[in-house]
This record gives sequence, structure tokens and C-alpha cells, in this order.
Amino acid sequence: MNQPRHPPRLLVKAMTVAFGTVAVLLGLVFIVVTLSVRNQVRQTVASNLESTQRLFAAFETRRQHDLRGQAETLADNATLKAALDTYQTETQANLTTVRADLLETIDLVLDRAAARVESDAVVLVDSHHVALGAAGRMADRWPRNRHVSLVAGTAPGSTANFDGVAHMGDQVFRVVAVPLVLEETAIGTLYVATTLDQNYAQELDRLAGTRIAIVSDGLMIATTLAPRASRQFESALAESLPVDGAIALDGESYAFRRLVAVGDTVFYALGSIDESSQAAMRDSMRSLALIGVLGIALAGVGSFWLARTLSDPIGQLSSSLAEMAASHSVHARLPPTGSSLELDTLTETFNDLMASVGQAEAETEAAYTGAIRALATALDARDPYTAGHSDRVSALSVAICRQLNLPAADVEIVRLGALLHDIGKIGVPDDVLRKPSGLTTAEFDVIKQHPVLGARMLRSVPFLAPHIPIVELHHERPDGRGYPFGLRGDDIPLDARIVHVADAYDAITSARAYRAARPHAEALRELWRCAGTEFHADIVAALANALPGVTSDVTTHAVLDQG
Amino acid sequence: MRRLLLHISALCLALAALPSGQSPGTGRVAGRVTLTARLPGRPLPSSAYPRRAIGDHDAPPLPQIRNVVVFIKDADYSGLLTTSRTAIRQEHETFVPRTVAITRGSTVEFPNGDPFFHNVFSLSRAANFNLGRFKRGQSRGRQFTKAGTVKVYCDIHSHMSATILVFDHPYFTIPEPDGSFELPAVPPGLYTLVGWHERVGERIETIRVEAGKTASVDLTVPVPEEEVVP
Repeated sequence: MNQPRHPPRLLVKAMTVAFGTVAVLLGLVFIVVTLSVRNQVRQTVASNLESTQRLFAAFETRRQHDLRGQAETLADNATLKAALDTYQTETQANLTTVRADLLETIDLVLDRAAARVESDAVVLVDSHHVALGAAGRMADRWPRNRHVSLVAGTAPGSTANFDGVAHMGDQVFRVVAVPLVLEETAIGTLYVATTLDQNYAQELDRLAGTRIAIVSDGLMIATTLAPRASRQFESALAESLPVDGAIALDGESYAFRRLVAVGDTVFYALGSIDESSQAAMRDSMRSLALIGVLGIALAGVGSFWLARTLSDPIGQLSSSLAEMAASHSVHARLPPTGSSLELDTLTETFNDLMASVGQAEAETEAAYTGAIRALATALDARDPYTAGHSDRVSALSVAICRQLNLPAADVEIVRLGALLHDIGKIGVPDDVLRKPSGLTTAEFDVIKQHPVLGARMLRSVPFLAPHIPIVELHHERPDGRGYPFGLRGDDIPLDARIVHVADAYDAITSARAYRAARPHAEALRELWRCAGTEFHADIVAALANALPGVTSDVTTHAVLDQG
Repeated sequence: MRRLLLHISALCLALAALPSGQSPGTGRVAGRVTLTARLPGRPLPSSAYPRRAIGDHDAPPLPQIRNVVVFIKDADYSGLLTTSRTAIRQEHETFVPRTVAITRGSTVEFPNGDPFFHNVFSLSRAANFNLGRFKRGQSRGRQFTKAGTVKVYCDIHSHMSATILVFDHPYFTIPEPDGSFELPAVPPGLYTLVGWHERVGERIETIRVEAGKTASVDLTVPVPEEEVVP
């Protein structure tokens, strides 16, 4: 079975469109933001590294300068020089005896020097590059009489005055060397050595805010990189590496830059692009999410509002229309929605259409009513005694309706129904109808046919349908002895009861061929007498109350008719 | 760096005649010292305290040859040593002269010629002393009673140094500015003759001294190999 597809509701449609648009927009923004953030981060990291390098270079220069100044002050120590010179002179002259007291003096001076300078070792080296004494945290790496191997970083030409790197066992030292000068000759060298170890790298890392790698002679001696990344960087260094650039280490993207090179030792700064971009991405994603949520909420609210402003009046209109359709009332006007010009125009046009339809219908109805009234008048005119009867019954019935406070629509039904109530008598032959007295049972049976006949006539005209009960049942009695069906009590519609009483009253107060017209009071008495059996008592009461307002009218009619 | 190559061309002195005043039974050692050391011509840029310029006239520095001492090593001498009284002046933040050779028991005076304090101290085995600080015009002296090499310094001006060679024999001399030297009255025998310079090292020659004759020897005081810069 192919279920007929209903089109989606306006609300659903509007929200779908709005959400779809927002989603596409957010997607585009996400892509753009991702790309641009990554790019910007790469540039930022690179420029950070560059400024780090400048800073570090300045810092290093300053630091070396300071160290050199301190070292020169330390080297300008007469006791140290005297001890060294005397030691060298006397060990030269007599190698068999060693002036241990002079070495002690040297150690004493160096100890005091080490306490005054920020370094890991202060070392005295003689003119043959042999360590004579050392002091400081790392003094044990500089044993006495050990030859010191140095890789000069600057100006190796100037005998003993240079910056460089010393490899002592497993440890690499950054060295500031100043000569001990005696009478314009260097008699030895004082080393102020800083350990290039993990602490040093971490200190640099902290100062520079980047990862640091210190590579000596192709070997990583200290780094703040993770072990895997460190190994990969080391092997990348084995191939020639430019001064700066980008490199992928352990699946992460790094920008690197050579900070400074001393002898065979090179300092690198590395900045993780991914790490930095993650933070930046997190920030922009957070903003984007906020914007997205707000956007979706706004789109939802907006589309909901839009759909409601469209669908509500339409729903209102359609429910009004449904109401109108149910009540067959074409005269009601649709209220303007006030929501949009288009919808109001539509309503107005519809109202105009319905007005013209209603007008046409009213004209048709009027034409029918006119024709029927003419028919009824013609019917009344067949018998001089009943002339004006239909009009009077109609007027009396309306008066009773008013007395009973019936709605206007019902009153209208009664008015026309009362006018037509005897239309079936058209099928009763004149001789029966006009017979002055003594109807036979057969003749009376013919008379009794007129409600059924009238109803049959009315059934052929659709808009007269509401009046059919009046025509068909206006001779039924509460005690069930009426005709044509013998309905009882409340089974008889109110319309028919009203017209029944009005009909009877007019009949009593009108003259007949076989009797004279009876007065109003007598008629009421007669009605009251039969109330409950022939007539409904409440209708009789309503008539009694209504009569003062209508009797003059009715009597006038009667008099005129009789006249 | 200015190279100060003191190259005094070797010139053998064939001294034919015995000089007068020579004791009989002794020989004479004579010769010439050639100094081939490269010496730094100006101070290394090291001192945190730059040298003060004293006046507008620097004294002409003594020739390096005057820092050379020629002596006979471990000579036996049983006679009476004549003591002397020499002076090492302290001027322009240097000791002048920087090298002095004396006999045991001699006294060295250290007059201060600079307008600021100086000090004299030594850590040497032969004489371990500190003369304290003294101002211009003052002088401190010390008698050296033990043979050996005594290096003296100033603890105010750490770049100053001087060497005093104390001998317990009289067979030593400081060459003339032209490098020539003479050791008169050396008992005959086989000796080790040393040409010594305070910084560039020493050269040893074996000499035979015969009575009434002059042993002729030329010494080229060498450059230590470590200091040869290619």
C-alpha cells in the first residue's frame, strides 16, 4: 500500500532549512579557522624561536661577558699567580720534589674563587694544558695532572684567552678561559666551566620557553625533548641541517633554530607547532562552539518564530474555515490575521468571495422563499376563510419564539416554516378543503395527508430542509393522538409544537364556513383546556404571554381578512 | 703581537790574551749568549685593572738579555763568598731589573719608585717571605741566606714578578747587552754551564776549564717547544 505522503509541516521545513544553513556555515568556519590557526601558529612559533634566538644570543653574550669579567678578576690574583709560577719554576728545577704546599695554596684560592663565581668548576691549568687544581661542584671531573682537551670556540690564536668547550670524561663543559699573566707572559689559564647538562638545558628551556637541545660533536648531551624526539633529532643532525626550519619528530611538527655554536657544541631551540596550535585551536574551537550554539539557538528561535507567524494565522484561518464549513454559515467573515499583507489580502479576497457567494445564495433563497410565499398565499386564497392564515401563524409563531427566547437563527426557521406549514394542502381537493361542515372519515383522511405531502414537496429544495419538521409534524399532539405519526411529548420538535399552537389559535379566532370567529379569550380558554393533551402547556403559556403584543396585529389582520 | 726577536748574531770571541787580574791556576770562561725566544711584546688584554700610565715617559725597558743568567751548575766553592747589596726597584708596576743573581748572604733592597703602594712576597722554597706593603720612597730589604731560585711578586699588582738567583759560589754572571759574558777565575775542571732565562728556559753546555786558558762557549737559549706557534 502506498501511503500518501503528507508534505512536512511549515515549522519543520523552516527549522530544517535554518539548521542546515547554520551547520554548513559552521563547517566552513571550522575549516577556515583550522587552517588559519595552524598557519598563524606556525608563523608565531617560528618568530618566537627567532626572538628566542636573539634573546639567547644576547643573553649568552652577556653571560659570557660577565663570566669573563668575573674570571679575569679571579685570575688577577697575586697569590694564585705566585703559587703557580713558583710551583712551575721549582718543579721544573727539581722534579723529584713536589711543592704540595703550593698546590694547597692554589686549591685554597680556587675554592674562594668558586664561591664567588656562578659556575660549576673553577680550574687552574698550567702552560702545558695540565690541570693543577679545581674547585666547585664539578671539580672532581678535573683531576690534578690530567691533560685538558679543549675545543676552542673563539679566537684560538690568542694563546689562552678564549671561550670553548671542554670534554672531561662523560661531561661536557662550557668554558671561559682567561690567562694568568705575569710580566706580559701567560703562565697558565684559569677556566670557569659550566656543565652542559640536563639542568642547563632545563634552565634555558625555562628562560626561552622552547625545547632546547644541546648537541656536542653530533651527540645529544642534554635536551628537554622527549627521548624519542631527541633520538630522531640527533639522527636528523647527522645529516646536514640548516640553521633553522621545520622538522617532524615523533609525529609532531617542530620548528627549530640554531641558537649558538661554541666549538663543536651547538644549541638548538625547538618549538612544537602542534602543541602551540592545540592551545590556540582549543581557544578558537571554544569560541566557535559558543558561536555555533548561539547560532543554532538563534536560528531555531528565528525559524520557529517565522514559521509560527506564518503557520499560526494559516491554522487560524483554516480552523475558521473548518468551523464555517461545519456550520454551513457562509455569512461569517474571516477575521484579518494582521500577520502579513499577503495573508490579509487572501482573507479579504476569501471574505469577498464568500460575501458574493452568500449574496448569491441569499438571492436564491429569497427567490425560493418568494415563490413559496406566493404558493402559500395562493393556497390560503383557495379558501376565503383561511386567507392570511399562513402569515398570521407565522407572526404568532415568531412571537412565541421570542417569548421563549429562541436564537435568531431558530426564529428564522420557524418564521418560514410556519409560513409553509400548510403547503401540503395544495394536494387536498378544493371540495374537501372548502367543505363547510361534516367531513367524512375518508375526507378527513385526505386532509390528514397534507403534512406528509408538504414535507415531500420541501424535500426537493435543499435549503428548505430545516423547515421540513415544522411542515411534517405540526399536527402531532403530546398525547400521541396527532398525525401523521402519532409522536408523543418531547419526541415532537419544538418548532412543530410552536406552529401547532399558533395554527390552532388562528383557526379558533378565525371564522369558518360552519361557524363564526371566536374571541381571543375564548380561544385561549380552549387552548388551556386542551393543554397537556392536544397542546404543550409551556407553548400555550408563551402564546398567552405573547399575545398582548401581537393580538392587535393579528386581529387587525383577521378583521381585514374578514372584511 | 709584536715579535721581539732578540737575535744577537753569534760572534765567536777568540780571546788571545789573558786578561789581567786573573788568579794563577784558574781558567776563564767566556762566550756569547744568543737569545732566540719569542717574547710577548705587550701585555695580554687580560687584567681587569688596566695599567696606570706613570708620567709621560716610560723608562726604556731593559734588554731581554739582561734577564739571562749564565752560571756553573753545582760548583763547589770553599772560599769566602763576597756578599753584595743590590736593589730591585719597583717602578711602572714592574720590578727593575727583573732578574738578579747574588751570592748567598747578599741583601736585596726593594725601593718603591711608584706613587702607590707595593708589596714584595715570595713562596719559594729558598726564601719564603712577605715584606708587607710600603709606599713611595720607602724600601724594604732582605738577606738571602739559602741558595736557590727565589721568585718575588707584588700582591697588589699580580702581574709583577722578579727572580733572584742565589748562589753559594761566585761563578755566575749576567751577560752584557751584546750577549757577551765572562766568568773569570774558574778552577780547572769539567763543568755544566747553564744559560738560563727566567721564562724561556735554559741551555746546558759542558765545558772544560783549564788553568790559564779561556774556555770559549756560545749559548743559544732556546724557545721551549710548547710555545712555538706555527
